[in-house]
Amino acid sequence: MNTIKPVGFQEYWQATLRNLAKYPTAPEIRPLPLRSTPYAECFSVKITSAGPYRLFAYLSIPKGEGNFPAIYYPPQYKSVLEIIPQGSSNYLRSRYVVMSLAGRGQRNSDQPYSAMFPGQFTENIGDLDNYVFRNIVADGIRGLEFLFARPEVDRKRIAVVGNDVALMTTALLDGSPYVICTPSLFVDSISRSGKSNSYPMEEINDYLNLFPSKKNSVEETLSYFDLRWFAPMVTGKTLIMAGPRGTLLDAEALGDVASEFAGDYTIYESVNSSYKDGLYSENWLSEAFGFGNSILPAHWV
Amino acid sequence: MSVNPASIEDYVCDVSKPDDFGMFWSEIMCLAADIPLNIEMILDPLRSSDGIDTYQVFYDSLDGVRVSSWYCVPKGKKGKLPALVFLPGYQMDPPIPKEWARRGFATLAVAPRGKLRSMGQFNPGYPNLLTTNITDKNTYSYRGFYVDTWRTIDVLLAQDEVDCKNIGVLGSSQGGGLAITTAAMRKEIKAASSGAPYLCGFMDAIKLEDTYPYEEINDYLRVHPEHYDLVRDTLSYFDGINFAEEIACPIIMNIGLQDNVCPPETGYAVFNSIGSKDKELFVYEGHGHEAGRYLQTKVICEFFDKHLKNDEIDV
Repeated sequence: MNTIKPVGFQEYWQATLRNLAKYPTAPEIRPLPLRSTPYAECFSVKITSAGPYRLFAYLSIPKGEGNFPAIYYPPQYKSVLEIIPQGSSNYLRSRYVVMSLAGRGQRNSDQPYSAMFPGQFTENIGDLDNYVFRNIVADGIRGLEFLFARPEVDRKRIAVVGNDVALMTTALLDGSPYVICTPSLFVDSISRSGKSNSYPMEEINDYLNLFPSKKNSVEETLSYFDLRWFAPMVTGKTLIMAGPRGTLLDAEALGDVASEFAGDYTIYESVNSSYKDGLYSENWLSEAFGFGNSILPAHWV
Repeated sequence: MSVNPASIEDYVCDVSKPDDFGMFWSEIMCLAADIPLNIEMILDPLRSSDGIDTYQVFYDSLDGVRVSSWYCVPKGKKGKLPALVFLPGYQMDPPIPKEWARRGFATLAVAPRGKLRSMGQFNPGYPNLLTTNITDKNTYSYRGFYVDTWRTIDVLLAQDEVDCKNIGVLGSSQGGGLAITTAAMRKEIKAASSGAPYLCGFMDAIKLEDTYPYEEINDYLRVHPEHYDLVRDTLSYFDGINFAEEIACPIIMNIGLQDNVCPPETGYAVFNSIGSKDKELFVYEGHGHEAGRYLQTKVICEFFDKHLKNDEIDV
């Protein structure tokens, strides 16, 4: 781990939160009959984030009497927004409130700003104050604030599930009891990009190939986003999904991040099987929420 | 559901081939043939690297839709290059295929209509693509989507550096389904690799699993149960199983027995329907929708090296 914690880290993120707080959430919620089922109602949600910027989310609420445990999917690094992740049993929506948020630039949150993938990772990356991910993290926080305020939700049983933004969101908005994070972009990014020619890390290589004079400013920006500096602020129970052994984000590589967590954590190292990895994650969450069984897709039972 | 490969390897999907299937697609191919490609290639310095030129490529397709793609070409190679078309997954943002270019292939990764960078004239969104106009085969979303992918072959054939006799296609999930349909419809293709194929056995898949994206069809039928027969009839024109018997080139396929997105039953069904005698199925027990990718990648590389790389060419 080569990154040094920047002196201005706390102030940078406090300023981000102060800026977000200027804008009311102003939620607009509409039923989505096409995505509702006999066991869950689905809604489209619009909320305002920093900027101000209007965001889109799917919200699914189990039918019946609440409160319900909740799964929150903050913005991920792709254009498409899913109601629940591809391959997850739709019946999860009978047990959990499920909310998935499109960060700015993703589909449904792409007016007026439409992001490119690849491309968004390095958008304004040479400008710390205006790096696009600063506000994407704010988007993630705004979504979780909205979910916290929902009367159907059991606030003691909320899990934030996703990639880097999931961990950052949990760190910056105290009160999320559980997080499942699969790090992708923001772990020792500069050093890691030098060892990879695969996207998304290749985006950094592309950018620095074309703008070599910006290396110091890119390095500075990325240092404010390194998960290692967020980890001490994560107080809930955490599952880190590491890459397979020998890859750039395997359990050993993520050890420096995990060792900083304030709360309990588990590192799971991928065994190169989406079935076995997914099964572990589903069972971990069910157990954390106190359920005796997991709701699994048919081919996993 | 516990999957036993022996019990599903002869699985037969509930799809019948319409009598006018061939005519339907012949007429569409004729329509497409009358549309000039109007290829535009723009070198992208940001996405080019040492040893690889990357281009943004645009071309015209059915209904006046402008389709985008990424094209990566290895620099400094003598002679014609073998070429690949990379076909994208359902929710995937089409990648910049540098890794295949590093292996010596001129590679085009297409973003069919509705994908990022090809959504100016057609943008049903995700979820929604799978069910847009699903009651009408003549306007169903995949009619144009399929043609967009098939025209990638014409784009490659128009490139001076491409060895037109050594073109392959590959993809996984939706890309795997598109590899089936593309290999069936474009006889110029010399080798194909299909992983965890989607768009095959639709009406079985919606009963075998409860996951998106196939779940979009269940969502639709829950609201419009009276359209069941129309949906089934439309999809029969687009089912990879009904294309597969036309495949004549060497083809490999990989499936995971715990695939929770594209049921392995449908994988077996489409594999069994492939017309080529040179076909091989790789079945991965204990694997889901990634279908054993970490092992299969090496198999795919060797497969394309064997079938597409001419020893006389410096690659």
